Amino acid sequence: MNFIFSYFFFLKFINRFQVVILSSFIFLTLFFFLVSISNGSFSFSLLSLFSLEDSLNKVVLYEIRIPRVLLAGFVGASLGLSGASLQGLFRNPLADPGLIGVSAGAALGAALLIVLGSSIIPEFIFNTFALPISAVTGAAIVITMLYFFTRGFGYQGITYMLLIGIAVNALASVGIGVLTFISSDSELRGLTFWTMGSFGGASWQIIIPALLIISFTVLWMIPAARKLDLLQLGEPEAYRLGIDVQKLKFKVIISSAITVGISVSLSGMIGFVGLVVPHLVRLIGGVNHSYLLPTSAFLGASLMMLADLLSRLLISPAEVPVGLITSALGAPFFLWLIYRSRQI
Amino acid sequence: MTIEVSSVSYLKNKKLILDKISFEIESGEILCILGPNGSGKSTLLNLISGYLSPTRGDIYIEGQNIKNISIEERAFIRSVMSQSQAIVFDFTVREIVEMGWLQRGLINFSENFEEAFSRAVNEAAIEDLVDKKFNVLSGGEQRRVHFSRTLLQSWRPSNSVEPKYLLLDEPTANLDIKHEQKLMKIVKKKAEDGIGVVIILHDINLAAKYSDKILILDSGIMKSFGRTFDVLNKEILEEVYDLPIVISNDPFKIIY
Repeated sequence: MNFIFSYFFFLKFINRFQVVILSSFIFLTLFFFLVSISNGSFSFSLLSLFSLEDSLNKVVLYEIRIPRVLLAGFVGASLGLSGASLQGLFRNPLADPGLIGVSAGAALGAALLIVLGSSIIPEFIFNTFALPISAVTGAAIVITMLYFFTRGFGYQGITYMLLIGIAVNALASVGIGVLTFISSDSELRGLTFWTMGSFGGASWQIIIPALLIISFTVLWMIPAARKLDLLQLGEPEAYRLGIDVQKLKFKVIISSAITVGISVSLSGMIGFVGLVVPHLVRLIGGVNHSYLLPTSAFLGASLMMLADLLSRLLISPAEVPVGLITSALGAPFFLWLIYRSRQI
Repeated sequence: MTIEVSSVSYLKNKKLILDKISFEIESGEILCILGPNGSGKSTLLNLISGYLSPTRGDIYIEGQNIKNISIEERAFIRSVMSQSQAIVFDFTVREIVEMGWLQRGLINFSENFEEAFSRAVNEAAIEDLVDKKFNVLSGGEQRRVHFSRTLLQSWRPSNSVEPKYLLLDEPTANLDIKHEQKLMKIVKKKAEDGIGVVIILHDINLAAKYSDKILILDSGIMKSFGRTFDVLNKEILEEVYDLPIVISNDPFKIIY
């Protein structure tokens, strides 16, 4: 009883307007899920989804389409959520798993394993466990580095953080470049396939462990929302209001590393979602994290399923890499943000 | 019901900031800390709140060493208003004040919260501000919002006997005289309700008017500690502030 109450306590600080927005994004997510699974190079009408007789259509839907759309949704949710919580932790609206180098760290970790480990590790362990773990480790190393360079994520460390992001991104592309150079033909194929950023490789076997881990991490993270609010008053103030700040930092860092690492390992580098989604959510309904964290997860999921749908439809039956679509939409938004903050 | 500060010293980068400070804070009393800039007042307050740990010496709350009280538990015992930092995101005043609410177990949230919230808002006289954005307020208004948050943190159920302390670091900075007097009257009333108050002030006359006891710090050394009118004498003040000082009685006033 006590546990359930304290788990949902953060919901007390969402106002009615924000409840409406949160519920509409939940509906939006369901809507895009249905639209996404029924459209593509094979199309189904929404009504026929439950009464498919044709075995080919059934296989396409259950073995290819649904895992893929689910993966897109979960990756979008984890990028949106980790963007929102990293921005809260850094007290900086420009923090994004991509900009500060966390995704690049994860990518380097994954690339290292693809090139150096794919011939040694059996395939069924490789995609399901080894690749995600290696990506999570890469992400965690980058976040730990950021922690030390920004002197414990202090308010003074903003410029540092973005500069370190540039350096880490550069280092990671050097690493990936070197790996490309030394890799054999089959490894190169795996690496190239993976860096393009796509949900095309999704199958139940690969995504189920990932979806479980992401779900648990999200459920672990969401109740920290109120603590992130208090942290906005500054670390000493949060401490005086009873928040163990070190513990909170640890929680946000670990959960971002896990969700971003897994997302990157399964779908490649997908930029700007973690930056843009929390901004949109704040613009619409307010800045408190009790509202921001869950809403960012749902908006992230909706947008990512939409981007994946576009990537399948634009030049069907071929595909545009989904990372290309998110960057094409996100980069102009980012420019607008910078322009706007210059005016203030 | 006391906080006991027992020969506490604090070193920062091998420099002595506070040197063997000992005194007691009793509930129901206002203790004012006076002293020039850089004399260690805020450091002392941070030590009492548990944010910093003393290099030597100990601090006891109700006889229990503060080291052994959990971070969460400390938040229930004392609320702190400090010289606050900038807030990046665009919170509303209501959200900032709500951050002071501490949820203890399953205590009925909806009844207690609304009552405690509106009282904290009324006492800090920010009724007109609650729906505004915090970052558009003036410096003085922001101080009052933080004061309101501090009051909400110090709320306790009416039948509770648990100790409460208010630690205030220059709460009157940037306030106009009307709100300054209003804030000090509320602090006085809180003390009458049994809350122990430690307050850092710069205005000696304000300290003389409201405090029960005064502690004077100078370069990390406790120059004087005692009943307000015993401590506020010409010799000590002239020595600490390095200024000629005249004290006129009836009404009591310090002229400098």
